[in-house]
Amino acid sequence: MSPGAGRGGRTARVLVARAVEALAVVVALASLVFFALRILPGDPARLVLGDGASAAELARVRASLHLDEPLGAQYLRFLRGLATMDLGDSFRRPGTSAMSRVAEAVWPTAQLALIAVGIGAVVGIAAAIAASGPWLPVRARVWIERGLVAVAAAPLVAFAPVLTWALAARARIVPLPGDPDAGPAGLLFAGALLSLPLAAHVGRIARAALVDVGRAQFLAVASAKGARPVRVWVLHALPAVVGPIVTVVASQLSALLGGAVVLERMFERWGLGTLILEAYSTRDLPVLEGAVVAAGLLFVIAQALGTALHAAVDPRARGST
Amino acid sequence: MTGSGSRSRSGSRSRLWRLAPLTLVVVAGAVGGILASEPAGRLDPERSWCAPSAARLLGCGEAGVDLLPLVSTAVLRGVVLAAVVALVGFAIGTPLGAAAALARGRFERGVERACDLMQAFPSFILALAVLSAVRAPSRVHIGAVFALTAWAPFARLALAQTRVLRDAAFVEAAVALGRGRAGVLRSHIVPNLLGVVAVQLGSTAAAIVVSEAALAFVGLGPRDGVSLGGVLDQGVAAMLRAPHVLVVGALSVALTSAAMLVAGRAAER
Repeated sequence: MSPGAGRGGRTARVLVARAVEALAVVVALASLVFFALRILPGDPARLVLGDGASAAELARVRASLHLDEPLGAQYLRFLRGLATMDLGDSFRRPGTSAMSRVAEAVWPTAQLALIAVGIGAVVGIAAAIAASGPWLPVRARVWIERGLVAVAAAPLVAFAPVLTWALAARARIVPLPGDPDAGPAGLLFAGALLSLPLAAHVGRIARAALVDVGRAQFLAVASAKGARPVRVWVLHALPAVVGPIVTVVASQLSALLGGAVVLERMFERWGLGTLILEAYSTRDLPVLEGAVVAAGLLFVIAQALGTALHAAVDPRARGST
Repeated sequence: MTGSGSRSRSGSRSRLWRLAPLTLVVVAGAVGGILASEPAGRLDPERSWCAPSAARLLGCGEAGVDLLPLVSTAVLRGVVLAAVVALVGFAIGTPLGAAAALARGRFERGVERACDLMQAFPSFILALAVLSAVRAPSRVHIGAVFALTAWAPFARLALAQTRVLRDAAFVEAAVALGRGRAGVLRSHIVPNLLGVVAVQLGSTAAAIVVSEAALAFVGLGPRDGVSLGGVLDQGVAAMLRAPHVLVVGALSVALTSAAMLVAGRAAER
């Protein structure tokens, strides 16, 4: 067997193991929500219908949620539903499957998150290059670094409403994202708000990695051969620090999804967050379970894309995937 | 000797200074509560959205709620909730991570993967889903949901630090002298990793202050309605009519979480 085939086999085994781990993550989280809704004190049927519900109505909801079966049988049914992506019908919209309602809501949230990741990565990398390259005086570079630390520590739930008030309501520089006429500009503003903490985290990590790589001989060789500083930093140094950047983006995805829920609520924008809040207020349990599964899948897919991107850009990462 | 002693004293002083912002926030919350002429959450529709004045230092919010007692009480309750959850996470995560690293093998890998799972998944969405199991969440419910994930960063740090300590000469000597795993953990490992892990207390507490505010902002706050997220929600609803409500809510959340972050660094050596 050739060394290449051996490496390919090892990579395939690692990828299969990662996929199994990722699926286990989604099943574990969905199970946690399933058991929380059924084991915690309180009758889920009464939660759905309220205290004034009649015995007949309660019995109907219990039957549709299979609450009259033993817990083990309910869990097996839930796992089967998870495997076929069929968690039953939405309570709020009878006749519509919970997963189809979730599928409708995933794209707007994914769109917002993708814009935030794009803006966050570009702004963060630009700030990192400015703070570690030779263009700016030392004092300006120190201030960029301090700014990155301050933005990274600032909570989105506090600064997003204030920036919206200042830029959209007072100065009217940008449209209110909740305005139906705001269009793509509103989506872009919401994405930019969501991207700020991510940009700061990317900037801090990329700056530290660039300062480290800046001392490497291959950059000195590139400069000695006459390459301009922009070429040295963007074409030579940047690909060498893609690993830490992808890692920090992946580690911030959970905060990004949480932030997306807050912004969707703030701007009354349709998405996974709005659906979860609606399902919470009406105790639409199949939709709630489906939304957690969808959030988990989104998260796992994003992590896998990050790993693949890292391997595509940095040959050193291919051996370790 | 004298030089190292004075360095150590100045280091201790600088660490104590890091507790100053949190002390200020707590004192401001307590003084605000005392200065307020009425209990938090009392409604008086006639003074709805009134601007800050000598009588109402922070102004009023929706239905005329006086913001000074509301914010003061919300800050104090938020700080207590964050501190309790962070300490619970610390008490569960630290021994678990240390024990896993000492045990090695499957247990170590299992705890590491569980930490990955808990730290990686959107815990805010998980909190929303789990809180739907109760009709109206109380602070105990909210704290319990945060504690579901709060132990993970402590366990991960303790695991990493114990991996270094488990091969240290004094630990090997204790094992060679016949100390059991529990004894080594109690007498040699935990005291040596407390300093490193304690720094995480501030980050976790700050994250809980923000998460509690975010939950209340989206409508899942404590049933008594006293929460900084609730003030922010009122501020967003009336950002054109009464921007002071938004500014008060945002500043309270930002300052409280920043004070928690700085206070956590007091444990740094």
